[in-house]
Amino acid sequence: MIKAKNRMGLIFFPAFDWAIDPSHPEREERLLYTQDQLWEEGIFDIEGIHEFKPDIATEEDVMRTHFCFPDVKTVTTESHMISAGGAIKAARIVMDGEVDKAFALVRPPGHHAMKSVHGNRGFCNINNEAIMVEYIREKYGTKKIAIVDTDCHHGDGTQDVYWHDPNILYISIHQDGRTLYPGSGHVPELGGPCARGKTINIPLPPGTSDEGFLYAIDNIVLPILADFKPELIINSAGQDNHYTDPITNMNFSAQGYAILNEKLNPDIAVLEGGYSIQGALPYVNLGIVLAMAGVDYSMVREPDYNYEALRQDRNISGYIEKVADAVLDAYRNPPKDKNAAKYGDYNVRKKQIYYDTDGIRESQIESVMACKKCPGVMHIESSSSANPLSFGIEIPFGACKSCRDEGLRVFRDAKDSGKYRTIHFINRFDKEYIRV
Amino acid sequence: MYLGLDVGGTHTDAVLIDNNKIVASFKAPTDHKNLLTSINRALAEVTKSVDRSAIKRINLSTTLSTNAIVENKTEQVGVIISGGPGIDPGSFRLGDFFYVIPGSIDHRGTLIKDLESAGVKAAVEECAGNNVRVYALVTKFSTRNPGEEEYLAEKVGGQADFVSLGHRLSGQLNFPRRVGTAYFNSAVWRLYNLFCDAINASLKELGIDTQVNVLKADGGTMPLSLSRELPVETILSGPAASIMGIISLCDITDDSIILDIGGTTTDIAIFASGAPLVERQGISFASVPTLVRSLLARSIGIGGDSRISVQSGKVTVGPMREGPSMAEGGPVITLVDALNYNGTISYGNTAASKKGVDEAAKKAGMKADVLVKASIEFAVGFITDQVNAMLAEINDKPVYTIHEMLENRAIVPEKVYLMGGPAQGFARYLHASFNKEVIIPREYAVANAIGAALAKPTFQVELFADTSKGQLIIPNLNIREKVAGDYTVDQAEDEARSYLVDYCKRMGIQSSVKDIEIIESSSFKMVQGYFSTGRDIRVKCQIKPGVEGGIA
Repeated sequence: MIKAKNRMGLIFFPAFDWAIDPSHPEREERLLYTQDQLWEEGIFDIEGIHEFKPDIATEEDVMRTHFCFPDVKTVTTESHMISAGGAIKAARIVMDGEVDKAFALVRPPGHHAMKSVHGNRGFCNINNEAIMVEYIREKYGTKKIAIVDTDCHHGDGTQDVYWHDPNILYISIHQDGRTLYPGSGHVPELGGPCARGKTINIPLPPGTSDEGFLYAIDNIVLPILADFKPELIINSAGQDNHYTDPITNMNFSAQGYAILNEKLNPDIAVLEGGYSIQGALPYVNLGIVLAMAGVDYSMVREPDYNYEALRQDRNISGYIEKVADAVLDAYRNPPKDKNAAKYGDYNVRKKQIYYDTDGIRESQIESVMACKKCPGVMHIESSSSANPLSFGIEIPFGACKSCRDEGLRVFRDAKDSGKYRTIHFINRFDKEYIRV
Repeated sequence: MYLGLDVGGTHTDAVLIDNNKIVASFKAPTDHKNLLTSINRALAEVTKSVDRSAIKRINLSTTLSTNAIVENKTEQVGVIISGGPGIDPGSFRLGDFFYVIPGSIDHRGTLIKDLESAGVKAAVEECAGNNVRVYALVTKFSTRNPGEEEYLAEKVGGQADFVSLGHRLSGQLNFPRRVGTAYFNSAVWRLYNLFCDAINASLKELGIDTQVNVLKADGGTMPLSLSRELPVETILSGPAASIMGIISLCDITDDSIILDIGGTTTDIAIFASGAPLVERQGISFASVPTLVRSLLARSIGIGGDSRISVQSGKVTVGPMREGPSMAEGGPVITLVDALNYNGTISYGNTAASKKGVDEAAKKAGMKADVLVKASIEFAVGFITDQVNAMLAEINDKPVYTIHEMLENRAIVPEKVYLMGGPAQGFARYLHASFNKEVIIPREYAVANAIGAALAKPTFQVELFADTSKGQLIIPNLNIREKVAGDYTVDQAEDEARSYLVDYCKRMGIQSSVKDIEIIESSSFKMVQGYFSTGRDIRVKCQIKPGVEGGIA
C-alpha cells in the first residue's frame, strides 16, 4: 500500500450532465478521462487520500462575494453552485484540519467572473476561488491569503475582485495577453491605489515550456510569497498551459505541473480551465494530485511526451528572465498611482466589460474609498445590455467603523434615489447581504 | 429442500430448508486444521433423517480461501504486470516473482507502446526456473484493451497450470486492485480446486447428487464448477451469509441497521429501502484492496466475549478477547458477565459472572453495579458511534452528476435488526441508544446458514463501447465486437442484458429476468476539435443479490 505524506482531500465533481452547449469545450465529457485515469491508478486506495462530496454553495455564499444583476438565480445554474460548493468544501476540510491539503476538481470554472456579474464570460459565471476565500475569511477569520493562478488565461475576474484588497495577494502566471483571451494581465497591472503590488501579473510568451514556468515559479512567485507570508496559499489550477491544449499556445507538461505544485505547495487547489481532455487532463490532474499528496509522481508522463520537441527556445528563456526582473521590481517598488485620491476621498474608475459567452456589454463606474484603516468602502454603478442601471455597495471584510457608516449612508441614499433597478449591499462588517 | 452450510471462523452451521421451514439444523465448532472434516460432519448430520435425493441445491459458504491467504498457505504466483505512465507499478509488489514490463495502453484502450518482449521472456524464464506454475497477468487499462494480457498469457503458455487475466475478473477500472485480485485468484487456485474435488467426493459418498453453489462476499452464489476458475470470489463470504440470513428471516423494506454481535466482533451492515448496500469498489483483504464485490459491512472489536478493563477509574470494553466469558469458564470478565450480573441475561454459570464482576470491581475500587453499567454503556456507545460514522460516510458518498447531487436521498434507518449469540442481552440498551425499534428474528443463531441456503446467484457485467473506434467490449465475458457508428445506449443496455442472460444459461446460473437490472448507464458525446467523433457508452448490468423465499 502506498501512503501519502500529506493527508489529502479530493473533491471530484465532473458534472457529467452539464455543458455550456454540446460541442463547447466546457462540456459533459471534460473530466471523464480524468476520472478514468484516477480510478485506474487506484488514487483513492492510497492511504491518506480521501474523496469528498462537494457542498452546494448558498445564495449567501455568492452574495457575500459578488454583485449579481439582477440576482443570483438569474446568473447561475445549479452547476455553478455545486462547483463553488466544491471549493468551499475543499476550504472547510483544510481549515477544520480534516486534511492537510485539498484539490477541488470541479467544473464549471470561475476565474473570469468579476465582482459584478451579469452573465457568463470566459466560460465563468461566478468566481469559485473568490467565493471560497470570502467563506474562509468570514468563517475562520484568516487575514492574509495568496491566490496563485496558473491557468493559461489571465484570471481577470479574480484580479478584479481583489484589485483593491491589500490582504489578498493575487499572482497570475499566464500566456501574454497580447496573444490570448482575455487580453489583460500585463506587468503594470499592480492593484488599486491602496493595494499596489498585491496584484502581480507574469505574462509569459507563447511557446514557454517546463523550464520557463518553473523559472518563473522559482524566481518570481516563491520570493514574492516568502515576502508576503500568507497564512494560506491557493492555486487556481488551470491546465491549459499544456502543450496539447487546443485553445492556447504553451508547452507545459504533466511533469511540469506536478513539479510546480510541489514547489508552490498550495493548501488548496481549485480547477480552472484546461480543454485537452484526453491528451492532457488525465495526466496533469494525476500529477497534481500525487504532488499535493506527496506521493512519487516521477512516472507520470503523457504518452506522446517528447522532451526535445517541447524544448524552450533560448530567446524565450532570455525574455522570461527580463519579465522576472520587471515583475520583481514592480512588486518591490510599485510606481505610485498619479491620480490616486487622498485619504477620505473616493478613487473612481470607469470600466467596460464584455461577456463573450453571453454577448453582454457592461459599463461600470467603480468608486472605492481611500482609507488608512481598511481596504475602503466600495460601490459600483453598473448597467449592461442585460440589465438597466443597478448598484452594488460593499463594506469590505475588515472594514473600519467610518467605512461602515459611509457604506450604510450610501446604501440609504441609493435606495432613496429611486435610480436603480437592483441594489446589492454586501455588509461584511455586520455580515448582512441584501438585495433590494 | 435447500441445504445451507456456513463454515465460519468459530462455528460450522448447517440448515435444511423445505417449503420455507427449517427441517434440520446443526451447529458445531469449526475444525480449522481440517475444514473438510467439519463440512462432512455437518452435511451428514443435517441430512441424516431426510431423503437425500430430495435436496435440490446446496449452497456453501467457506473460509477455505480466506484462511489459506491469512495463514500464508498459498502457492507462489508469477505476477507479470505492465503499468505505463502513472504511479510506479513497483508499489503494488506481491509475492517473490513480481515483474514490471515496459509498455502502455491509454485510457481509451489505445495501445501506445508494445510490451517489451525481452522483459516478458526473461520473466517467464525466471518463473519457469523456479517452478512457478500459476500466474497473474495484468496490464493497466486492460478492461479497455485486453490484448496485452492475452499476449502475456500466450508467452507463459504451457508452463502454467493456471493463469488469471486481470480483465476476466472485473470490468471495473482500478489497476492496483486488479493486480491484487488476480494474484489472490491464482494463489489459492490449486488449494481451492483440491477442496472442490474433495467436496464432490464427499457428496458422492453421502449419496447427494445435486447442484452445488458457493457463496460470495456480495451475498450471491455461483456454481461450484465456475468458482474453480474464480476462487478469489469466495473470500470473506461469512458476513454476507449473515446479512442474507436476516433478509430471509425478516421482511425488511425500510432503511435499516443490521448488527450481528458475535463473541469477538460486531458486524454492521446498512440497508437502503430493504436492500443491502454494496462496497463501492471491492473488498480489501490482508490489507490488499481487490475488485471482489462485497456487501458493505464493517467489523468492529466489540462482542460478547470482549474483555472489560478498568484503568484509573475509566471503564473500557474490547477490542481484546482473552477467551470466553467467566460464565463459560474464561479468565477475565466480559460483556456477557456484565449482562449476567445485572440480570439482563442468564447465560452459563451466572454465579461465576457475579463473582468475577465483584472481584474486578473491588480491585478497581468501584461499586460492582457502577462497573457493569459503565461497561455496557461503553460498548453500546461504541457501537452506536461506529454505526453513525458509517451512515455519515454512506450519505456523504460522492456523486458525479448535478441530478444525483440534487436528488440524492439520505439513508435514515428506522429499525435495528439484531442477531448473533449475545443479541438478546443488548436489545434494550441498543433500543435506548438508537431510539429506534429493535428486532431480533427467531432462528437468529443459524441465520448465517439460512442466508447461505436461500441466497440467489449474482453476476455483473460492464460494457464499454466506443463508436468512434467502432468497438464494444465486455471484459469479464471476453466479448469484443464491432459496433456501428450509430450504436446507442439503449442498444448497449439490451446487449449487456442479453449477454448476461446467455452467459448465465451456459454456466448453469439460475436467475430470473426480474432480478437483472441496469445499475449504471451513460453515454458521452466525444468531440475532437469542434466535431463530434462518436459516443463513449458505458453500461453496468447485474443480477442483484437476493434470497429465494424466506422462513415463514
